[in-house]
Amino acid sequence: MLALPLLWSALLAYVAAGSTAIIAVALERRPERWILLLLLLGVSLHGASLAARWIHVGHGPFITLFEILSSNVFSLTLVFSLAYWRIPAVRPAAAFVAPVLFIMMGWLLVTSPGEGHFPPTYRTLWLYVHVALGKIFLGAVLVAVGLSGMILARLPRGEALEELAFRFMAIGFVFETLMLVSGAIWAQDAWGRYWAWDPLETWAFLTWLSAAAFLHARVAFRLSPRASALMILGVFALAFLTFFGVPFVSTAPHKGAV
Amino acid sequence: MSALASLKLTAAALLALAAGVIWAYVERPHSLPALVAPMALLALNLAAAIVVNPKFRRQLPLLVFHVALLILVLLAAAGRLTYLNGRVELAVGEVFTGELLDAQAGPFHRNSLARAAFVNEGFEIDYAPKWKRTETRNLVRWRGPRGEETGIIGDQTPLVLEGYRFYTTSNKGFAPVFVWQPLAGPAQRGSVHLPPYPVLQFAQAVQWTPPGASETVTVKLALDEELIDYERASRFRLPPSHDVEVVHGGKSQALRPGASVELAGGRLRYEGLTTWMGYVVYSDWTLPWLLAAATLAAAALGWHFWRRFAMRPWQEAPAC
Repeated sequence: MLALPLLWSALLAYVAAGSTAIIAVALERRPERWILLLLLLGVSLHGASLAARWIHVGHGPFITLFEILSSNVFSLTLVFSLAYWRIPAVRPAAAFVAPVLFIMMGWLLVTSPGEGHFPPTYRTLWLYVHVALGKIFLGAVLVAVGLSGMILARLPRGEALEELAFRFMAIGFVFETLMLVSGAIWAQDAWGRYWAWDPLETWAFLTWLSAAAFLHARVAFRLSPRASALMILGVFALAFLTFFGVPFVSTAPHKGAV
Repeated sequence: MSALASLKLTAAALLALAAGVIWAYVERPHSLPALVAPMALLALNLAAAIVVNPKFRRQLPLLVFHVALLILVLLAAAGRLTYLNGRVELAVGEVFTGELLDAQAGPFHRNSLARAAFVNEGFEIDYAPKWKRTETRNLVRWRGPRGEETGIIGDQTPLVLEGYRFYTTSNKGFAPVFVWQPLAGPAQRGSVHLPPYPVLQFAQAVQWTPPGASETVTVKLALDEELIDYERASRFRLPPSHDVEVVHGGKSQALRPGASVELAGGRLRYEGLTTWMGYVVYSDWTLPWLLAAATLAAAALGWHFWRRFAMRPWQEAPAC
């Protein structure tokens, strides 16, 4: 299958981009054009890999851990690349985003690329709406995580970076709200109930509450950039656990991967 | 009042709600107050903020978002007081009369299930290899405002009658049809629902007492072939040949359609084999209103941030 060689090539491009970004921050160099080109090359190859697999297995990357990890590495890199391209202040954040993506890529490499069954409850437009909204949410929070990394590493202009990180968290919060709404509509269609406190729903709601608490705390307590950055890391850790932990340890019907 | 309207209280109440959710998630007993108390506190906090804080009132999108959230919580509470969630099984040709196998309902649910009568007219289920159930198509018939109506429902396409939503489920199986002729009184026709198929394909037996009889019998279905191919795409189907066994008083008797067995209280005649479908029934009048409130909340939130961020361009944040 063509999908796998394309995927390995994409991962090589991502690793090259991420490593260059880390070295650039350490050496205080700015090879931004090269990093952007490598990111775009990786995203293009990865997009082709996902399309090839979609054609081969007859459904999108929504079922197995391999598919979910692969599609999320793609969407997270795509969202980050867009921010990297449009907002110069985001660019050094690549050095802090890269380790997160490296962990996901390493996990992807040790995961079986076997096929899974596409259940009848997934034959709905809401699957695409819900998943797309979730990916934008996590992508926006990842950009905020990169900016938080810059703040914690005491790169200059911490307050401006904090405002930028807050903006990405706010975007993430809007898309997470939409993700929960679309998920509830889908659950009503699929299982005849819009909310049942199953593990994935519960942890997604906890992530939403943590993001809401962050947005309120920022105003209420006038958080320092450092405190704000730490809270963003906390929200991301919860979101990461919800996306990639809960669906694969829960035995409830709403497993995401079933 | 201003203490009650404090944003610090909002952040604390949100964390308390998160703790309440975790408390309920690990299935601690009496967890409802752990959810209701912080939600009530958040509602009071919001109401106080609207009264006390003119800056909050001036930010219309933010105000709309918070009020929509409040409405969402109130609607969800109203829904829990009036909902119904139940289960029913119907053999092919059987009429739903409003009786459920089991149900959970809010204390203020007004039951009108008896007016939601419909008939199961049979179903088709497609299977992918390895018994992966794909699409279910169930033909149902009911009396609507335009007279007799029919439709195809499934796991995601409900039959909506009297505000009740009936969905098919993975729970389905075979149902031997019998006519029970007691020693005195009229004959009764009905079916016995065997355990779900194919999940319990090797346990196709059930104990049953004919209406008014004193003797309990075991009804078994003996199949001599695998009806749903495990290796290839297949479809749920009735067996072309089969035996139904009735075990009573230590004796087992195989019956073909038309054959009878004499029991202590009367005669049991086997008519043939059909199928049964398990449905879930759901009712919650708040659904469209919840969707409207949630959509309004999300739109208002997006509007708020859009306005706020448009004041200062994103590129203005200086590069390091």
